[in-house]
Amino acid sequence: MRVLLAEDDPDLADDLKRQFMAVGFITDLATDGEQAWYCGDIEDYDIAILDLGLPKLDGLSILRRWRSGGRTFPVLILTARGDWTEKVEGIEAGADDYLAKPFQLGELIARMRGLIRRAAGLTSPLVSLGSLALDTNRMVVEIQGVSVRLSALEYRLIDYLVHQAGRVVSATEIAEHLYGFGDQTDANTIEALIARVRRKIGADKIETRRGLGYRLTGAHE
Amino acid sequence: MTASLRLRLLVGAMLAIFLALALAWVGLIFLFRNHAIEREVRILVRHAERLVADVTINSSGMPQVHGEQQDPRFTEIASGLYWQISAPNTVLHSPSLWDQSLPRPTDAISKRWTHRIIPGPYADHLLIVTRRVQIGTDGPILIIQVAEPDTDIEQSNREFGAQLAVSLFVLWVVLAIAAYMQVTLGLRPLVRLRSEMDRLRKSPAARLTTGYPAEILPLITAINALAEARESDLARARRRAADLAHSLKTPLAVLSAQSRKARTSGAVIAADGLDRAIAVVGAALETELTRARSAAARAAVETTAQSIAFTMAERVISVIERTERGENIIFDTNIPPDLVLPVAEEDLAEILGALTENAAHHARRHVRLVGVPNGLRIEDDGPGIALDRMERAVKRGQRLDEAGTGHGLGLSIVRDLIEATEGDVAFDHSELGGLSVTLTWTPRV
Repeated sequence: MRVLLAEDDPDLADDLKRQFMAVGFITDLATDGEQAWYCGDIEDYDIAILDLGLPKLDGLSILRRWRSGGRTFPVLILTARGDWTEKVEGIEAGADDYLAKPFQLGELIARMRGLIRRAAGLTSPLVSLGSLALDTNRMVVEIQGVSVRLSALEYRLIDYLVHQAGRVVSATEIAEHLYGFGDQTDANTIEALIARVRRKIGADKIETRRGLGYRLTGAHE
Repeated sequence: MTASLRLRLLVGAMLAIFLALALAWVGLIFLFRNHAIEREVRILVRHAERLVADVTINSSGMPQVHGEQQDPRFTEIASGLYWQISAPNTVLHSPSLWDQSLPRPTDAISKRWTHRIIPGPYADHLLIVTRRVQIGTDGPILIIQVAEPDTDIEQSNREFGAQLAVSLFVLWVVLAIAAYMQVTLGLRPLVRLRSEMDRLRKSPAARLTTGYPAEILPLITAINALAEARESDLARARRRAADLAHSLKTPLAVLSAQSRKARTSGAVIAADGLDRAIAVVGAALETELTRARSAAARAAVETTAQSIAFTMAERVISVIERTERGENIIFDTNIPPDLVLPVAEEDLAEILGALTENAAHHARRHVRLVGVPNGLRIEDDGPGIALDRMERAVKRGQRLDEAGTGHGLGLSIVRDLIEATEGDVAFDHSELGGLSVTLTWTPRV
């Protein structure tokens, strides 16, 4: 696993690098914003740990540049502030997770592993289906070239429906797929999820067959 | 007296009005008396001129009065109407004078009628008209005098004075009431100023309105300038506190690293002590940051800050659905896109973030955000046993500094922010099965 660590405090950076190496992550350290952007732009990392308050170029700008340049590796933001406005800005700039300082090292490493696992699980980078295109790395669905960001759950739902192309899938089946066999999630909850996804990708993309279930309509287009 | 501007103005006005009315009373009585005397003088002169018409000079050069007495009072003793004609060697007078006579004037006598008040027979004072008359070109010079007591004049003068006093007193009362109203009206801007100053004291972002009379306006401008300076001082102090708190977070993370290093090299006790100290400093920093945030929210109440509820809810959800806990939760929003809440965006983000995260934490599968009039409801399908605990944590909850870091602090930020933005929070059981938290704000006019 290759990790890009962008952190300007030398003591913290050294310690994190040592701890990362200790758990088996090969770590590149960038101590300013420009260096961090450059490393992320030319190297392939499994994850980047990005301090928002970097000198020369701030973390959010680096992140936006990476994302607009097509860099899709997961990014975990580290910041001194911990407010929701910054969390929202970070996620909207393309971050995948967020940790406020001071943090527990164990939590940081657990979250890094979670992000790496999630990114690795999504092997096929692009699945196209009619006007829908799924970018499995970024968990983004593109509709006629416009990207719509989905939550993991929403993504799993669409992914499942795409793979059932054309078949009507019942709410129970969806719940079992999303949450595991024998799950007690009721149909209303799944309906809420479908409604939410419809709002993001367009109401006509998922068809309701009364009493039977749901079907992705893009498959036949 | 110096304590109340109103009393000062009122007493001043009443005294001034009283003095003016008293002067008017004296002046009017003087004029009235003069007028009454003039009128009586004209009557006396008429009597005197008819008397002169009846006077002839006999062959021995003595004056004589022919004809009947023109007024019966001239014949009645001490009747109050008298005449007297004085020649160089004789004096004629009306029968009403009986054995008395009118005092002869000592100074030069005019050829025109003059009048004066003199002490006289049968009365304290007599109003007397006098003139020098010469009958024919070589006749003797006669002094004609006609008099009557001034009792009537004095009597009507007294009556007039009393009536005038009553009228002027009533006028004084009316003017005093008018003065009271004037003072009250005049001081009304100051009453408004006082209530506005209360608002200014409560919120550094408040300013006095400028719709004041020109006399007070410079004061208002000065106070507003002072408020401006105070607000920017406060904002600077808050920013410094927040900056300080933020700048200490990285060193704290470094200290954590040092503690880990100490622990791996065997200094477990030292590392434990260091960790405890780091936890305490961390909690203090969070508390300070929360205080700064609530203070900023309180200041923003005076501004026109507002947020679109739907947008903010979706943005917050986009963060939570990326967390490990949130990624398996269905977030269901039913918020009208035009629902605008009177809260600054960063404050609403904090409130919604903490409450939605809490809902996601307790939810089994489903978290719902619903728009209500002037507010939002956050529901989950969790076990719903946390109702009283949530109420304690958010509503009556611990003080910030007791709350510690982590979950509790997030919720006490919510309480502080809702209070600071003048909102309200209510807890109930949700139809989804879990907790329902309803936030409402009074819309700004």
